[in-house]
Order: sequence, then structure tokens, then C-alpha cells
Amino acid sequence: MSTDSEMKAKIDQACRVAEEFTKLYYETIDKRRHLMSRLYLDSAVSSWNGNGIKGHDRIQQFIIDLPGSDHTMVTLDSQPILDSATAGLLTFMVQTSGIVKYQDKTPKTFQQNFIVTAPGDKWKIVSDCFRIQERLTK
Amino acid sequence: MPKPKYNNRDSGGDRDFQNVQEFRGGDRRVTFKPGGNRYGNNKGKNKDWSNAIRSHLEEEDIDMNIGSSSGKANFRLNKKGKGGRQGSPLPYRPKFLQEGPTGWYRVIIPYGQRYEKSFLLKLLLDSVAPLPFMPVEWQTNGHTVLFFVDERKVAEKLNALDRQVQMPNGFKLFLKVFPGSPEVIMDDKIKERIKVVMAKRYNLANKALDLTKFHADPDLQDVFCGLFKPVVFNAVLEIIEENIQDVVALCLNDNRLSVFGFLKKVHKKMPSLKILHLAKNRIRDIKQLDAFSECPIQDIMLDGNPMCDKFKEKPLYVSEIRKKFPKCIKLDGMDLPPPIGFDIAHEGTIPDVQQTFLCSAEGEAIVRQFLEQYFAIYDSKNRQPLLEAYHENATFSFTMAYPYGLGRDKNVSWLTWYQTENRNLTQVKDLNRRCKLLKQGKLAVVSFLQDMPETQHDILSFTVDLTVFTPTMLCLTVSGMFKELKSVLKSPPIRHFFRTLVIVPAGSGFCIANEELHVTNATPEQAKEAFKTPTLPTPASGTAAPPSTPEASPVIHTLTPPMIDNNAKQEMVNQIALKTGMNVEWSIKCLEGNDWDFMRACATFDNLQSRGAVPPEAFVK
Repeated sequence: MSTDSEMKAKIDQACRVAEEFTKLYYETIDKRRHLMSRLYLDSAVSSWNGNGIKGHDRIQQFIIDLPGSDHTMVTLDSQPILDSATAGLLTFMVQTSGIVKYQDKTPKTFQQNFIVTAPGDKWKIVSDCFRIQERLTK
Repeated sequence: MPKPKYNNRDSGGDRDFQNVQEFRGGDRRVTFKPGGNRYGNNKGKNKDWSNAIRSHLEEEDIDMNIGSSSGKANFRLNKKGKGGRQGSPLPYRPKFLQEGPTGWYRVIIPYGQRYEKSFLLKLLLDSVAPLPFMPVEWQTNGHTVLFFVDERKVAEKLNALDRQVQMPNGFKLFLKVFPGSPEVIMDDKIKERIKVVMAKRYNLANKALDLTKFHADPDLQDVFCGLFKPVVFNAVLEIIEENIQDVVALCLNDNRLSVFGFLKKVHKKMPSLKILHLAKNRIRDIKQLDAFSECPIQDIMLDGNPMCDKFKEKPLYVSEIRKKFPKCIKLDGMDLPPPIGFDIAHEGTIPDVQQTFLCSAEGEAIVRQFLEQYFAIYDSKNRQPLLEAYHENATFSFTMAYPYGLGRDKNVSWLTWYQTENRNLTQVKDLNRRCKLLKQGKLAVVSFLQDMPETQHDILSFTVDLTVFTPTMLCLTVSGMFKELKSVLKSPPIRHFFRTLVIVPAGSGFCIANEELHVTNATPEQAKEAFKTPTLPTPASGTAAPPSTPEASPVIHTLTPPMIDNNAKQEMVNQIALKTGMNVEWSIKCLEGNDWDFMRACATFDNLQSRGAVPPEAFVK
């Protein structure tokens, strides 16, 4: 049963890290965008509504260039990724949904996911994908 | 033109002023209250007490006169200003003329009907000269003549004229002046006429609407259409919204405008309004301009409004206007230095949505195959074969939410089924529950999937993001719409999903190690787009349009075609020619039509061939 309790501990950690991480992430993207790159791995990949960006500095610049935002997270989900996928490096997949408001535009529903890992003593985003829930053709 | 309303003026607008009027014109009472109504502007100023008391005394005098005039009604009026009083140490003084909010005044001439209109007009015209005298809405009611003027100075002169002019019949002319403006009854007929006048005043080339002195328009003389009347201004705005929403310039000079609080959502009705001229109006408070502050105003004219005099220094005036209209570069005809902003105060832009992002072109084929196979099974009656798609120790979790503003309304198909499995960690705090809601192992996962409502996914609506592609792991995000089949509802609900998949290599293929699924309702705008029959969709990028392969799976265009070099293409052409027996030309056609997806090209060929739809010349070598 040790594997069961190990798994339980991992799930617990995945959930707790996700709670802390998403709070920090949305606070930073809304208020301290100049620190965004610190949340990402150097080689991180981000897809923002299908616009792909590689590298943490570029991701930060991309986010800075977006209009001012106000995110409200509505749902959160998180689970540990199987060891075989990550060569044993503790990695979580986090998925959120919520409401985002850009400047004075009307609020929109969004969904987002993150792959979060800890190569050192800090959690970093390996990749994330953000999608606004909207029609694709204008 | 007389208005029937006048007969019953107690019921009309301007009630406050009418009360004053009744109070003054009705039975006189002795009162020692200074009465704010009467001396509005003198309120609280001690120096005017003597004046007030004098007025009271005077009124008492008049009462006594009336009392002694032995009930002759006609005399009553006459006697009030009778000659005997001229030698009095207290000469007759007209009552103070109260100022109303509109700047309009109602002038009443009791017994005015006794005189020819032309005679009266000339008399009044001469009396107010050199000021222009333009009575509005001249009307009679019994013996009384009533009209409106919109100049305070004219009103004051008329007020001062009360009982000063000896008329040919020996009586003195009585004039009562009170604040008040003409009543307007807006109906479709009047609105239509306003529309015609607006059309006349609209310059299509410049998108400029000139409503200068609107009430004085020659085509609107028999009806009163002062823009300062909320009902008129709102009608004008409605006409703008319905007909010329792209108006860029609006001139409202000289319209006696003072307040705009009644205007709602001006920026939605005139979203492009850049030039706004409000000169020579009666705006006293800069706050009134808030009604226009959301319009992209660049040029504003405010000269000739009382509010301008409040600013002793011009820079302050400019800065206050700039606060309301940050983009303003022209004020009262003077160019302003362009506003200097801060670098960080940029507005930012939202990049256009892209349907697909693949961090690695190599992953494209895997992703496409995987999705095609996965959703083919998922949308079938039996989802058991999905066992093959999951890792032995796969984990799966599920969340749901309603989209913003589209909650559990009666018009919304509820997500009740999904509610019980919602592993929303913002609400599910208990660890055991968190663990229980995480499906662990492929049997648990697939049995959960099997229980989910039967679906049909709209592959054309899919977005695909591949953000991790390493030899050990792929992270794939798919979102899109699906229809819930076997619904008890009349029309099957359209849902929106967002799915994150961690995919790992397994044997010769791939399987899902981790999955998170989020389900919500499609927004009405999204739902309109769902399950549209593809009308020969244009290729995602520079490849040739699909030729004779309408049967091709619609999934082709949801993914950008991978970069395939010419050697690889040549190899594919050889292979497909060998496999199908088609000549090189047609093999290329077939591959191009399927975005150089070898498997799909083969499938398309098989499909067409089985129906004998491949033309014979394709096989001519």
C-alpha cells in the first residue's frame, strides 16, 4: 500500500502547488508582468490563443504587449504527470478556467493549462496553453 | 400654433415654475416668509431683505387696491398699476426674474388677446430693441397670450415692462414672465420631421452633422424642437444611432444646452465621434461633458458657455478638458500640444486567434492521427476501444463551469450531469475527495468515459496546441465543440470542451498518460458556428486548394500542413503511385488535396475508387 500513500501524497502536493502557483501566476500577469519570465523555464513554450512563443524572455515580452488584464479563476484542476513521461522529474499538469477582462472590454471566458516542474528549488512552467472561449471566425 | 396642452397647464412639464406662477398670479396672500421661490437668487443675502419686505408691502398694497375696486374684475388688473401710484415714494418695481435651468422663459400677457397680434408684436419688438425679439410658440388661451423667449436679457426687459406701457384703450399692459420652456410631445410624426431636417443638415462626405440653432430651423417653425429638451435630444440621438452611427463631427452650437445627464451610452450611439462643437450653450458645469467622455473626441468647442468663465487660467481649463477627453488635440479652435503620455501606459493589442499551434512540425502527423482515431471512437456508441489509447496507469480528471454571463438560466441547457464529477480544486478541498475524483488506471478512466453522455464532436471547431514534443512526452491541448446526443431536450445541447493530454510513446504508437477535461456550454456565438457543413474550406496555408476530393475528412484543415521537403514529397508520390496505380500527375493531385498526408491521401483514394469516382485518365501512364 506504500505506492498508494505515495500517490496520495503526490496528488496532495499537485493540488497544493497548483493552488499556490495559479494564484501567483494570475497576480503576476495582471499586476507584475515584468516578472513573468521568472515563472517560466528558459526554454518554455507558450501558446496564447494559438500564437506560439518560445523562450521565457519572449513570453514575458508577449504578455507585456497584451492589454492590461484582470483574471478571475473559476475552476482549477491538477494532477501529477506519470513518471515515465518526465523521467522521474516531479511534474504536474494544471488546468484552469475563468474569466478575463482586457482593459474595458467585456469579460471573456478562458481555459488554460500549465505543465509545471521543479528542476531546482523553484517551480517553473514548462509549457502553457491559453485559449479564450470564442468563435474562431470573425 | 396653440397647443391643447396649454388649456391644462397644471398637468404639463415645468411644474415647479407653474407653481411659482400660480402662486404669483393667483389669490394674493399676506406672508412674511421671504420665500426662496420668489427670490431664489437673493436667498440668504441679508442686504436684500429690504427689497423683499418692500415687495411684500407692495403686494399688500395691491390687495387693498383690489379690495377697493368694488369687484370689477377688469379693473383689478388695471388698478394694480394705477396712476395714483406713480407719485408714490415707492415706485413700481418689477419682481425679480428667477433664473430657470433651461434659460427659457414663459411670457404671459393676460388680456393680450384684446390687442392685434401685430400691434403687440411691434410694441414688444420696440421695447426690447436693440435686442432681437423672437417669440416662440405664440399661443392664445381665452384672453391670455402666451409665448416663450430664450434670452434672459429679453426676458428681463419684458419683465421690466410689466405695467409700464399705457395701451390705446387706456389700460396698462400686463406682462408676467417666469422661467419655463415650451412643451414638446414627441411622436413618430415629429420624429420623422426631425429626421428630414437632420438629413438636410448632414454632410455625408465629412460625416458631419450640423445642428446649430436647431430650434430655429425654418423647417421646424410650427413645432418646437429645442435640443435642450431631453425628449428632443434623445430623439435626435436615436435617429443618429439608426441612420448615421459613423458620424464623426457633431455641431451643437447655440442650442441653449445646459445639462446632458439624460443622455445614455452616447459612445455606443456615436462610436466614431471625434469632433464635438458645443459653443454658445449654457453649460455651467464641466461634469456635464461626462456624457461624451467615452467618445474618441479630438476636437471640442466650448467657447461661450458659463463653465469656461469658471477657469481663471487657461492651462487649468485645458488640463480639465484633457482629463475628460485625453485624445483632445483641439480646444475652442486652438491646437493643443499633442498629449505626452507614458511609455508604460500603452494600450496593448490582442493578437488574432490562431486555430493551431505546433511547437514541432514533426508532431503534426502523430497529433492528427491520434485525434482522428481518438474522437472516432469517442463519438461511437462503444468507447471501450479507448482502453488502447490510455496508459496502464493513466490518470484523468474532470472540471466544469458555465461560461461567463451564461449561468444556470432557463435558456441554458444545464450541465447538471457533469456537476457531480467536477474536481474543481477551488471547491473540492478534502484530499480524499480530490483523490477519489482523480480517475486512476485506464479501466477507471475508460469506464468513466463510457458513462459520459453520447457525443458528436465538430472537428472543424477544434483548436490544437502542441506545446511539448520530446521523445518521452507530448503535451497536447484540444478545444472545440460537441453535440450531446440522446438529450431529452428538443435540440441537442452544444458544449465546449478543453482537454489537456499528456501523451507518451507506447510500443510502436502512443498512449495517454494524463488527461484533464473541462466541459462548459458553447456561447451562443460559438454555437452558431458549430456543425456548419464545410463549404470547401480554404487550406490553412499556401497549399493548393483541394481538387476533386470533397470526401476528404474535414480534419485536414484544422492543422497547418507540416513542412515537408521535396525529397519526402517525391517519395510519397512514388509510393502512392505504386499503391494506387495512378499516374504521377494524379498522385500529386491526390497528395496535394490532402495536404501531403500520405495516409489520408490513401484513404481518400480508396473512398473514391470504391465508388468508381476516380476518373480513368488518372491511370493513364
